[in-house]
Amino acid sequence: MMDGKTMYIVSLIVSVGILSWLIRALPFLLFGRGGEPPKVVSYVGRVLSPAAIAMLSVYCFAGYACARPPAENLWGLAEIASGILTVALQWKWRSPPLSIAAGTILYMMLVR
Amino acid sequence: MFRKAFSDSVPVMAGYGTMGFAAGVLLSVNGGVSMPALWGAFSSGTFISGPLQYLFVDWVRTSASIGGVLFVVLCVNLRYSLYGLSLLDTFKGVGFWTRTYLIAGITDETYALEVACDLPPERKRRYCLFLTALDHMYWIIGVTAGALAGAALPVPSKGIDFAMTSLFLVILTEQCRERANRLPAIIGGVSVIAVFAVLALILGMDKARAEMLIPTMMLMVTVLLAFRRRMEKGAAR
Repeated sequence: MMDGKTMYIVSLIVSVGILSWLIRALPFLLFGRGGEPPKVVSYVGRVLSPAAIAMLSVYCFAGYACARPPAENLWGLAEIASGILTVALQWKWRSPPLSIAAGTILYMMLVR
Repeated sequence: MFRKAFSDSVPVMAGYGTMGFAAGVLLSVNGGVSMPALWGAFSSGTFISGPLQYLFVDWVRTSASIGGVLFVVLCVNLRYSLYGLSLLDTFKGVGFWTRTYLIAGITDETYALEVACDLPPERKRRYCLFLTALDHMYWIIGVTAGALAGAALPVPSKGIDFAMTSLFLVILTEQCRERANRLPAIIGGVSVIAVFAVLALILGMDKARAEMLIPTMMLMVTVLLAFRRRMEKGAAR
């Protein structure tokens, strides 16, 4: 039957799936028959997303800082350069696949 | 109706195809699971989300605690509950299961196309259903194909995890085009650095990174609430 890891992945996917659906369904469940959300709720809903994405970006960089001691890592030069390339391309051309591919390939070349 | 949905969805196909593919490769290379394509298809079909698909790789590899995972899901995706507000009328009169599916399929891209479409209600509902199914399918195919390719080919994989960092930077860049999002982004960035620095002193860097998201999110929400008046004034100007 299922081993522990398999069970874990299934329950992870199912619980993330249910919560993802509930988040999206919330307005339909609450205001399906009319009504408006409290102002503070729509405020948090609006500003939380950029804050969370900024948090996750830093979280990724923290991961690189943990993986190798800074001195060995040229103080994150590869990460910073690839990050700057990604942001610059995205700002100019607005093409996510292009920016992500370029940033990742540069990083892969730098850490080789 | 299908034709319009299909032609509108072509740019989404390009975007989801490539981003999904990269997430799939990452899953098979870094996820440490034995059947990446199966898990890729199952996960991308169940929760449709770029950031979560990349984080999923980390969660699976580290067997992250599900409670902490759900907290992250809530913060990353809470904006979707606002999208629903402008779709209430559109989805009115749709059958229960169809509506359940349409709701599950709300993403940034699908939502944008649904709101932009100005067909009469009956035809618009069919348009939304086709569009949701198409976008959903692109995402599943992208992720699954990536997972298969990553497992089959000897992809030079060192450093490929930077794809996730790049994805977040791309989303952040797009959000920061809008002036009103800049202060929240700064608050998020400063909160996480502050929490990481404090925890790193107490617990050491590795543990600090593993434990930092939940305290950061609490701090973030508190600060965002404290800035509410100022931010709403700024938005009204």
